[in-house]
Amino acid sequence: MSPVDWWLLLSALLFCIGAYGVLARRNVILVIMCLELMLNAVNLALVALSNFLPGGQGRGSIFVLFVITIAAAEVTVGLGIVISNYRNRRSVQTDDYDELKG
Amino acid sequence: MPGGDFHPVFFVIVAAWILVAGIGVVAFHNIVHSAVSMIFCFLGVAFAFALLNSELLAIIQILIYVGAISVVIIFAVMLTQQQTGGFKLFFNRQSAFALPAAVAVAVLLAVFFISSKFLPKGDVAHNPNVHSLSALLFNRYVFPFELISLVLLAAMVGAIVLARKEDDR
Amino acid sequence: MTALAHVSTVLKVATALVPLLPFAGFLITLLFGKSLLRRRADVVSLAMVTLSWVFSMYLFVHVFAHRHDVLDWNVFSWITSGSFHVTWGFHVDSLTAIMLLVVGTIGMLVHYYSIGYMRGDPGYYRFFAYLNLFMFAMYILVLANNYLLMFLAWEGVGLCSYLLISFWFTRKAPSQAGKKAFLVNRIGDFGFTLGMLLMFLTFGSLQFTNVFGKAGGAGSATLLGICLLLFTGAVGKSAQFPLHVWLPDAMEGPTPVSALIHAATMVNAGVYMVARSYPLFIHSHAAMLVVMCLGAFTAIYAAGIALTQNDIKKVIAYSTVSQLGYMFMALGAGAWAAGIFHLFTHGFFKGLLFLGAGSVIHAMGGEQDMRKMGGLRKLLPVTYWTMVIGALANAGIFPLAGFFSKDEILGADFNAGYWFIWIVGIITAFLTAFYMFRLIFMTFHNQSRADATVQAHIHESPKVMSVPLVLLAIPAALAGIVAGWPPDGGWIHKFLEPVFFNAKAETFHWAGLDGGLLLFSLVVALAGIGTAYVFYIRRRELPVRVGERLPWAYQASVNKFYMDEFYEKAAIRPTMNGASWLWTFFDVKVVDGAVNGVAWLWARLARVLRPLQTGRAQNYAFGILIGVLVLVVAFRIF
Repeated sequence: MSPVDWWLLLSALLFCIGAYGVLARRNVILVIMCLELMLNAVNLALVALSNFLPGGQGRGSIFVLFVITIAAAEVTVGLGIVISNYRNRRSVQTDDYDELKG
Repeated sequence: MPGGDFHPVFFVIVAAWILVAGIGVVAFHNIVHSAVSMIFCFLGVAFAFALLNSELLAIIQILIYVGAISVVIIFAVMLTQQQTGGFKLFFNRQSAFALPAAVAVAVLLAVFFISSKFLPKGDVAHNPNVHSLSALLFNRYVFPFELISLVLLAAMVGAIVLARKEDDR
Repeated sequence: MTALAHVSTVLKVATALVPLLPFAGFLITLLFGKSLLRRRADVVSLAMVTLSWVFSMYLFVHVFAHRHDVLDWNVFSWITSGSFHVTWGFHVDSLTAIMLLVVGTIGMLVHYYSIGYMRGDPGYYRFFAYLNLFMFAMYILVLANNYLLMFLAWEGVGLCSYLLISFWFTRKAPSQAGKKAFLVNRIGDFGFTLGMLLMFLTFGSLQFTNVFGKAGGAGSATLLGICLLLFTGAVGKSAQFPLHVWLPDAMEGPTPVSALIHAATMVNAGVYMVARSYPLFIHSHAAMLVVMCLGAFTAIYAAGIALTQNDIKKVIAYSTVSQLGYMFMALGAGAWAAGIFHLFTHGFFKGLLFLGAGSVIHAMGGEQDMRKMGGLRKLLPVTYWTMVIGALANAGIFPLAGFFSKDEILGADFNAGYWFIWIVGIITAFLTAFYMFRLIFMTFHNQSRADATVQAHIHESPKVMSVPLVLLAIPAALAGIVAGWPPDGGWIHKFLEPVFFNAKAETFHWAGLDGGLLLFSLVVALAGIGTAYVFYIRRRELPVRVGERLPWAYQASVNKFYMDEFYEKAAIRPTMNGASWLWTFFDVKVVDGAVNGVAWLWARLARVLRPLQTGRAQNYAFGILIGVLVLVVAFRIF
């Protein structure tokens, strides 16, 4: 196993931990936090690959830059939505956000 | 930070740090504990970036993730009333099914990564240093860079609009 | 028979014009009749049909001069599909010439007659358009040089028959009669189609020249099949038993239609077709036997019904069926020229009888029931005398046309050894004379039995109607002597010799059997007239008394031997019930069930799947994860 494989393994594990959190927790803010975990995992994978793959020229790093930026923007807007929703229904439990139920 | 080759010791330390912090995020009942755990996780990832020769990214990670995103999240935690209670309150009904699914994905990914042969042994390239990274950013990828600024602007405006108190005008 | 290698352009053009002119007339009259021409809507169609007559007379004269030349050429190729090759082409020989004479003359006269008869009818232009269309189809039928083109025209005349029978379609009876005609014809057409199929399979072609050239080489069972199937088509078109039921109903159409289509031309198509298929039939003795026997049966059967009918047109209609039976009797017995001769004479006197009946109906203001007529002799002299000529001709009285043709048929049957058929023919001749003069006496003699209001309006028809009557009476009277004398050796037999190349003109023995038979049939016919005279002039209580003595016979005759009831029970009711069952069970339960069932299935499915929509994003995210899992595994495996 080359070094890259180790880093990718770590990234995969972190990703899955974050995925579990997204799926299993009831608090919306916690879900967003776990989303960030997943994003971090991806960033990790990108940087690792960019470091070890030939011919990358740092494209992975650039990508990660953009991902971080977008993640920040996304968290901001997402939490704005959560606050807004909280004002209306006084709850941050995901179970209560089911108005689109069919 | 030592660049170049792969240092197993540092890797293990960083990996353990990240994983433990990550599990902490998911497992704590108290959300503030989860938030703190998340901060540690981000720090760990920054360390990892540094290990991978991306010092710039490590600093940026700390600045933005730890410095900005975590703060925003804690703000949100403060603004919303959290409940206290038992396991059932914090984990929803599908958590029992999500666990095996997540494990399965992890196992699959692990298997794939290990068995795939697209990487040469050892490291061939390195991540660029700040100088080359900025050269790339402002020459080749200047267009996305400008676009990003627009996205940030939109996000700012959006967040303000969303979080505004409702007026009866 | 030798086919002419080269046909002059003049002939080709003339032949092509004969059917094309009426077709143009049809289009023009149909399209512009209501708007441009209005009351003069008949002008174009009359001009076309007259011109056609001129050209067909030209053709007749040409064939008359060159009767051993057979003209057969293709105009263009119609269907080429593998080995199946059919053309639009024309075939002109003596048989065609005779048919052209009959069709053209009577067609033209009926057109002129219709000016008077149909005057004031709101569908005037439509009538003439359809008449022209019919002429087009009929001309194509007799001029065609292959069976498929003939069949096309066959269907065309059937269509026109339907259109014209149900001409007054706003009433129920004509519409149903038109439908009946078309449907019953269709049964015959099905046989015709099968015959053509078999023919193609056996000979590889449907062109006359090809089929007739190879006729001798086919197996006898195959030939029998082909001939019988073709004959089925003739049975339908020429209203022979059991497909005769449409002809009496067809009398719902205007009388000129009855005269043209159901007496003089369309119903002859079956006879023409069998005659044209002469090279096929002569190789199948069994088929000819069937033709002859069926014809004989139909002849006496129809005559039996005509005895008791009270509608003047129905009597003449059944008479037509009966006389067509005579023609088939002749063809089946091997007297081909005699059969065509009878077709020739019959066309004239039957057309005359129908037009005369139309004149009577016109005078009586639409009344067709003979029980309400009477005493018209002095009031409608022209009609009376022409109809008497027609009736005499039909009854077979010397020296009128019917005598020669009918007796030739009887003589031929006897000579060929079919003396049972001869007996049937003789009895039918008696009945024919009887019912014909029953018609004459009931309609024209004695006192008028009509209402006073009707009586006041009785008048002779306008010239445009009575002139055709006179014009038809001439050949009805003379055609027999002119064309058919001496019997079996007259002009017409020599004329048709090249067509019926194995049946030579025979010599007629005056003193001996032939002469004796001739005299005998004449006596029988006169006896029939005499009996009618007794029944309807002298002792008029007799018909009722005979009816009371033999009630079952009378009822059977009046009710057309219950054929319609039989068809109703045997064919129509089961079909309707079957259709009804198909509707209630199959359509409602199965088809609707399937369609509704599909809808129900989806509704159930939706109800089952609805709980999946929890509204919670986490559940959906879980689904996405599972999906990704599956995809990744699938990609890995495959």
